[in-house]
Amino acid sequence: MTQDQLLMTLSGASIRARKSRLGPFSLKIQHNQRIAILGPSGAGKSSLLQIMAGLHEHTGQVEFLSKPMKQWSVQELACHRAFLPQQQEIAFNLSTEMIIGLGRVARNHDPQLLDIIQGSAKAARAEHLLRRNYQTLSGGEKARIHLARIFAQLWDQQNGILLMDEPLAALDPGLQIELLSSIVGFCQNRSHALVAILHDVQQAIEYFERLLLIKDGKIMADLLTHPAPKKELELLYEMRLEGISRPGRKDLLIPCGLGFADIS
Amino acid sequence: MLKTTPLYGYSSIVINQAAFIYATALLVLVIMTFIATVLGPVELHFLDSLLVTDEIVESYILWQVRLPRILFSIAIGASLGLAGALTQGLFRNPLADPGLLGVSSGAAAAAAGAIVFSGNLPWGIPEALSVWLLPGAAFCGALGICFLLDRLARWLTPGSVIGLLLTGIAINALVAAFIGLSTYLANDEQLRNLSFWTMGSLAGANWMVLSLMMLVLMVAFLCSQRLTRQINALSLGETVAAQIGINLKQLRQRIILMVAFLSACAVAWCGMIGFISLIAPHIARAMVGSDHRQVLPLSMLFGGLLLLLADTFARTVAIPAEIPVGIFTALLGAPFFLSLLAKQRKELI
Repeated sequence: MTQDQLLMTLSGASIRARKSRLGPFSLKIQHNQRIAILGPSGAGKSSLLQIMAGLHEHTGQVEFLSKPMKQWSVQELACHRAFLPQQQEIAFNLSTEMIIGLGRVARNHDPQLLDIIQGSAKAARAEHLLRRNYQTLSGGEKARIHLARIFAQLWDQQNGILLMDEPLAALDPGLQIELLSSIVGFCQNRSHALVAILHDVQQAIEYFERLLLIKDGKIMADLLTHPAPKKELELLYEMRLEGISRPGRKDLLIPCGLGFADIS
Repeated sequence: MLKTTPLYGYSSIVINQAAFIYATALLVLVIMTFIATVLGPVELHFLDSLLVTDEIVESYILWQVRLPRILFSIAIGASLGLAGALTQGLFRNPLADPGLLGVSSGAAAAAAGAIVFSGNLPWGIPEALSVWLLPGAAFCGALGICFLLDRLARWLTPGSVIGLLLTGIAINALVAAFIGLSTYLANDEQLRNLSFWTMGSLAGANWMVLSLMMLVLMVAFLCSQRLTRQINALSLGETVAAQIGINLKQLRQRIILMVAFLSACAVAWCGMIGFISLIAPHIARAMVGSDHRQVLPLSMLFGGLLLLLADTFARTVAIPAEIPVGIFTALLGAPFFLSLLAKQRKELI
């Protein structure tokens, strides 16, 4: 790994909460890499993502584009990394176009704005939702608007990073696949790295090249998705998985029962 | 910096609609101003008094009493409307209001303290300073309460509507105790001054305070116009706002400074006038949606209109006596607030 391929470095980054301590997290992210974060709820996945986004107080070092995270201004940072949080409530009833456009609020001069709103809405399969009021949308439609806002934020950038906290949670299966491939395509076209917290093991293996398994506030394992790490995933979720190997494609892993202890 | 941004989020139809609303509201305001100048204990014929100068009494009443007062009520109403819209934007909450949250009473308490305790000082206060004593004290009070509120609500009940309003109740109670103490310690003359603060009246209008108020309003409006996009971003939630490049701390401080300044000036010169700052932004939002680029100026317009209406009632209902305008706005505002609660009942429980 050469120095100029490095996008982000975490060394010993940790959060001290009232009772528990998360971390220390140490990892390196390269340009254009796709990383899925998996782990049981409450393991500290969201906090790790927030550290990467530069939005959480922490000890230790985080470097983004070879500059310490603490030296980035919020405005500068917003032009190179986009973060999609899990819960999104909006206080007032704004139009969808406006919400997408606000993704680019950090830029003072933005002549392409209207085109970018159109383009990113299209990429997030939300074109038909433009000119609607946000409050009238369904959960899945709202998720698409927020996704479009993230796209708009890094639309004309290269080598940035997208951080997503369960971007597909409120969507039906067909749309999950459609949007996931759209997200991956967006990142590949612009050499953006992608780090996403997911719940679906198979989606993580299929669409990402690297897995970060988080358990009890620590990185339990950091490995590639091929070959599928069946054993580590069973340890992570404390359940049994059935592995099916397919010629020419990545392995299929299916949850098939509780009680990991009795098979070891 | 602002000018380069197109009015995205709007089709041309909506922009025309907004222009129509502005035009109508302005027209109504002008008509109201004319009607209000004619109404009063002394009958005035507007055109006559403008043209014929030998009616000294009438022209004095028009130029030195009625017109400044009418314009003053518009200016104060506009500043209350702007303060309300900014507060609601800051707390991301349509029920937030400088009056309900205790900001205005904080200003009034500081002013009350200044009235009572400055008289008891062993040394006198120079004449030049005394004009600014009340606004200054009110500003400090409003600013203190704003920062206290921001901290307390964020610490005790982060993100909760009810928590914010309850914190406001607690602060109001605390401040009321201080006003009560000042009242208890006041002498007769101070007491008369004090009752002015608690009820609110525009009777103190003159060209001097009017021009000062206009200046304050202009400055606050121009400052707020630079923040509208950021306030819009704030309604997406604090995490998202920080994520898309908003400096939350700085934005919060700027809004708080403006709200404190606007409320303090209004309170210092006309006492506590409630509910205008709650109602005006609501009317604005009902008409043009929640884009703060539109909500802020329209809230000013409707605030001015509402207070002019209330004040005209206040001085003409019981001629020749005059009812404090704060009583009218409360009569208007309290049922309005209840209806808002009814509308939001589901989210509040």
